[in-house]
Parts: sequence; C-alpha cells; structure tokens
Amino acid sequence: MSVLTWLPILLVACLWWVFSHSIARDMPIGVVNLDHSQMSRQMIRHYDATASLSVSEQYTDTHQAKQALQSGDIYAYVVIPKRLSQDAYLSRPPQVSVFVNSQFILVGRLVNAALMQAQGTFNAKLDAGKVLAKGDATPTQALGKAVPIRSQITPLFNSNTNYSQFLISAIVPAIWQIAIVVSTVLILAAQVRETGLKGWLGDQPVRKWIATLLPYATLFLIQGMAFLYWMFIGLDWPFHGDFGVVIFSQLLMILACMIMGSLFYFISLDAVRAMSFAGAFTAPSFAFMGITFPVTDMNVWAQAWRTFLPVSHYIEAQVYQASYGASLLQTLATQLPVLGYLVPAAMVASLIDKHLASEEAQ
Amino acid sequence: MSWWTLLKKELIAILTNPAIMVTVFGGTIFYSFLYPMPYAHQVAQEQKISVVNLDKSQTSYQLERMVDATPQVKIATRAHSVEQAKAQFLAKEASGILVIPEHFHKDLLLGKSPTLSYAGDASYFLVYGTVVEGLAQASGTLGAKAKVAKLVMDGEPMALASENYAPIHLNLKPTFNPKMGYVDYVVPAVFVLILHQTLIIGIGIITCEQRRKTGYWSQVSKAQLLSARVAAFSGLYLLITLFYFGYSFDLYQINRLAAPIDLAIMLVPFLFATSFVGITIGRLVQRSEQVTLIVLLGSMPLIFSAGFIWPVASIPSPIVWLSNLAPSTPAIMGFLKVNQMGASIAQVKELLTQLWLLTAGWGLLAWLTLHRQQRKSGNSMPNA
Repeated sequence: MSVLTWLPILLVACLWWVFSHSIARDMPIGVVNLDHSQMSRQMIRHYDATASLSVSEQYTDTHQAKQALQSGDIYAYVVIPKRLSQDAYLSRPPQVSVFVNSQFILVGRLVNAALMQAQGTFNAKLDAGKVLAKGDATPTQALGKAVPIRSQITPLFNSNTNYSQFLISAIVPAIWQIAIVVSTVLILAAQVRETGLKGWLGDQPVRKWIATLLPYATLFLIQGMAFLYWMFIGLDWPFHGDFGVVIFSQLLMILACMIMGSLFYFISLDAVRAMSFAGAFTAPSFAFMGITFPVTDMNVWAQAWRTFLPVSHYIEAQVYQASYGASLLQTLATQLPVLGYLVPAAMVASLIDKHLASEEAQ
Repeated sequence: MSWWTLLKKELIAILTNPAIMVTVFGGTIFYSFLYPMPYAHQVAQEQKISVVNLDKSQTSYQLERMVDATPQVKIATRAHSVEQAKAQFLAKEASGILVIPEHFHKDLLLGKSPTLSYAGDASYFLVYGTVVEGLAQASGTLGAKAKVAKLVMDGEPMALASENYAPIHLNLKPTFNPKMGYVDYVVPAVFVLILHQTLIIGIGIITCEQRRKTGYWSQVSKAQLLSARVAAFSGLYLLITLFYFGYSFDLYQINRLAAPIDLAIMLVPFLFATSFVGITIGRLVQRSEQVTLIVLLGSMPLIFSAGFIWPVASIPSPIVWLSNLAPSTPAIMGFLKVNQMGASIAQVKELLTQLWLLTAGWGLLAWLTLHRQQRKSGNSMPNA
C-alpha cells in the first residue's frame, strides 16, 4: 500500500528537484571566430554576458565546432566571418551564422531567443554609436534611429516564465492519475486475493465495490489537497481562483480514475494484465494534456483519446482556476465530459455480475 | 539440457504468457501509434490573437497585416480596449494580445521609437513562444522597413538602404531538426524509453512468476538461465527495435542518420543492461504486478531527467547520478546523438562505455539475486 502514500510524494519531490533551477542558465555555446577583431571579441563577450548563454569554447574551424555540436558538448555555435568589423563599419552588413541544436526543442528555443536578443542589443549599440559619432544627434534621437520600434513583452499568468511552475503543475496531476488507477487495481486484486470474489462482493456487488473504494478515495483527496497546498501556498505560485472548485474537480478525477482502474481489473480479474492496461492508459497521458503542445493543434484522434483521460479534464479546471481566475460556471462547464465515465461504470457493474455468475456456475 | 533447448523453452514460455505478450508486443505497437498522435501537426501555428489598435493609422494597419501574414499567428478578433481584449482572452477566443499604442505612426516618423506591447498566456509555453515569436518577427520587419524608409529619405540609395537596416545580420539555422517539429523532438527519445520499460516489464514478469515454481528453469545453472533469458528477450527486442527505428521512424519521417551497424553497437549493451535490470527487479518484488508498478512510476522521472527536455547542467547532480544508473539515460542520449544528430560512434564512446559498465553491474546484481533466492528456495524445500 506504499503506492498510496509515500511513493507519489517521493516522485513529485524528485521531479520538482529536477526542475528546481526553474530557469536554465549558462547553456554552453561555442564560437568560431574567423575575424579576431576588437568588435568580434566584444560581440562574444556580449553573448557570454547574457543570463542564459555562456561561451564555453572557441574553435578554430567549423568542423571542430560541428563535432562538438554533434556530441552534445555545446547547444549552438556562432560563426563570425572574416572582416566582420571592417564590413560593419563600411556599412556592408556582414552575416553571422548560428547553428542551433533544435533536436532539444526547449533548449534550442531558449538559445535562439537569447542569441537574437543579444545580437539585437549589440546592433542597437553599434547603430547608436554610429549615429552619435556623426555628432548631430542626442542619445535619445540616436536610439530612435537605431531601434525604430521598441517592444514590451508581457507573459500573462506565469510572469517570470518559470519552467518548473509550468511543467510541475502538469506533471503532478499526471503522476497522481497513474497512482490512483494503479492503486485501484492493486486494492481490488488484494481484496479478491484475500476473500475471493464471492466472499467479498456477496449479493450486493455494486454496493460492496463502492464501499471498498470509498475510504481510499478520501485518502487520495487528502493527497490531492496536499499537492495543491504545496504548489500554490507552500511554493507560493500564483493562484487566482477558488480552491473549492479545484478540489471538487479533483474529486471527479478520483472517481473517474477509480472507475477506469476497476474496469481494467474486472475485464480479466488478472492483476498483471490489468496493470498492463492501466499502464498503457495512463503512462502517455502527459503528452495529451495539452500543456506542452496545444490541444488546438492536435488531430481528431489525439483529441478523442484525450477526452478518455480523467486528468485532461482536471487540468483544465486547474488552469482555469489557478491562472485565469475564471468564473465557477465557466470552470464547471469544462467538467461536464466527466459524466461520460458513467458508461465505464455501468460496464464495471455488468462485468462484476458476469464474473459472479460464472463463479456460481462453477 | 543444452543451451539451445533452454533458449527454445524460454521463447515458448515468453510467447505463451498472455501478460507478457500484451506488454511486449501489444504495448510497443500500441504506443508506437499513440505516442506521436498529439504531435502529428509537428508545430503549433496560426495561434489566434486579438489586436487592440489605438492608433488606427495606415502604418498600424500595415503592421496588423504583417502580423496576420506570419505563419505563427493569426488575428482572430479585434478589441477597442485592453479590457475587452482580456475578456476575449478569458473566453479562449485569443491566446495572445497585441496592443498598438496611440500615435504609433507619428512617433515612428519622429524617430521616438514607440513601444508595442504583446502579451501571451505563459501557462502554455509553446503557444506563448509561438505568439511572441510571430509578433516579434512582424514588428522587427516593420522596424526594418521604417529604418529603410528613413535611410532612403536621408539620401541613401535604395539598394544600399535595404541591406543596411542592421549593422550585423544574424542568420539562425536550426540544426538536426530544421522544422523544429515536435515529433522529431519527442518520439526518438520516448521510443527508447518505451523499449526500456516494456523490456523490464516483460522479463521481470517471467522472472517473478517462475520464482516459486519449479520447471525447466530449476534444472539449469544460473549462468545458463541468465544468458538464455537475456538472449531470448534481446532477440525479440531486436525485432521490435527494427520496427521502431525502421518502420515507425520512416512513417513519421524522423531522421535516421546512423548506419545500421552503429545502431547495433549501441543497441546490444542497451538491451543486455535493460534485461539484467528486469531480472533483478523481477527477483526482488513479491508479485509480478509490482514490476509493472515500479516501471510505470519510474517512467516520468526517467524521461524528465534524461537530459533532452531539460539541460543536464541545470539538473541537481544527485538526480543525474541516480538517473544514470538506468540504461535508458545513456541510451536515449546515445541514440539521439547517433541517429538524429549524426554523431559517429567515436563521439559517443563515453555513453557506450557507460552502457557496458551498466551491463556488467546489473548483470552481477541479477546473478547475485538469483543466487540468493535459489539457495533460499533450496533450503526451504525440504522443510516444506
């Protein structure tokens, strides 16, 4: 029964630790400097000075840099062409090429954005310097010429674009779902092993089934509330809504998970096979939750599979409440599909009857 | 019993065990279609945004059209005020907001660098990144255009001016995954983990189920049993790997840069080490469903600490050490480097060494657990 109590908590703690740095800093990049001028060295220092990048290595030719990129020593390399400073001063804009490892998309994007930003500010500096050198402009005018449009980017709801907040608040419900479905299978298997199907369910099978699982549902709810408390109060992540609504949706999710777990078990009455089904059902659910990849860009099949997963309904309620502070009605509307789990519940009831009948026949 | 008869019996035992068949064959094939499904569109595009145009000048409308023309975003609605845009955002009509300030056109011409404001929902990172990228691109283009116009006004020839909007051009080239596609990102790594996890489940179940029973496995030496079992499962998994790295990768058009022989060099120690992990776990747990349980709960930590989602340097070192005990961690990195990034075997020799070390370590553990339990059952047999 350790699955119920400390294992999910340990796992969540582990994953939180993985992302505890929350913002990736000093990702190594390489430079191939073919110019060796003051400007190119300044530019390299400029890249190095950004929070997310660190120039870890300088290579003499692109071949070496490519090898380092392939073996994963660096996430990107910058090739600074010959006569960079000369060309830049002569207004023949040189082209600096950057090869970013986009196999690791998340890291690739961060490196991409950081380089673009660094180059943008460096260019503005050069431009403003050039304008100022002519001597007929004030610094503000020079800046206006160098950067015609400035932009202000506001991330809503996750104001410091914190990765741990983004991923953990989705990973926790995914692990929780695995724990509930799997525990349901184990609880039922243990019950049948101890008392036998007939001895356990007797003549009121559905009532007994519910009575067995109900205490565990309370336990899971306490666990769920503990996770909520830890994330939004303990770690002080922004929460704009109503905890009551989220807890209600947690309850729905627990019931749905238990129904699915029971269904897997009563299909075969074999714990090992039921666990395989439970695994196939719950393990990939993180991909379908729509946090990392938007639901609107999933195809019809993926969206259909998604609606079968209890956690995908819960996560909507959590995001609606935590991030948007949406109204009660809006949130409850997202929970309507949970009613669909009445179908597998009915299937469980009929499967129980079937198994009892076949046991009696024997 | 000769080794070959033993191998045949092993194979028969595997192929007639329904629980193993469900996981090893059913599971792998099911996952190979299910897992890439959400990412079939590869990239998130045409994210809907709402525009608050407080300027209503020609330039601002031009900016709107430019924003709409980028592949990343699409203007779905307009709003008269920021409050209205926020309401639209909450109603899920838009996933980002662009605010064009008053006097945008005038300030631009006066060289006062007006400020554009973008806002995106950062609870969904990919959407946020896409929206911001699209908006930044459009405003960058407009900025460049404004600059070119000013340069031309200052008397510079058009051809020079259109080159000259930035002193240094940055040319970013995504390498190894040029489309920045999600399938190419997730699938090659997750498939290795699926092989790892299902192999542990399969071999763990058979090892656990045979623990309390006697049969062909009790008549042979431990070394024979271990080698035959590992050989049987490795053989089966070779077939599944061919299906994954061949058919599936081809189906999803994922890079296959490695030569088959290089893949085989990586695959052999990976399958051996994983099989030994499975035997060890199967021997240590009480009931065979617990094997599935351990594997299932382990998958999320393994995937997130493997280093392809989050840079290894940013993961606390105790977690890195722990995750490197699982064969999946070096294998995921190794296969990604060889097959996706085109590294040669020499460039991944550390990972290869690690896999062989893990094979040796877990092999020893598997042998020891087998030893312990066989002696125990040997002692308890006469008493019972």
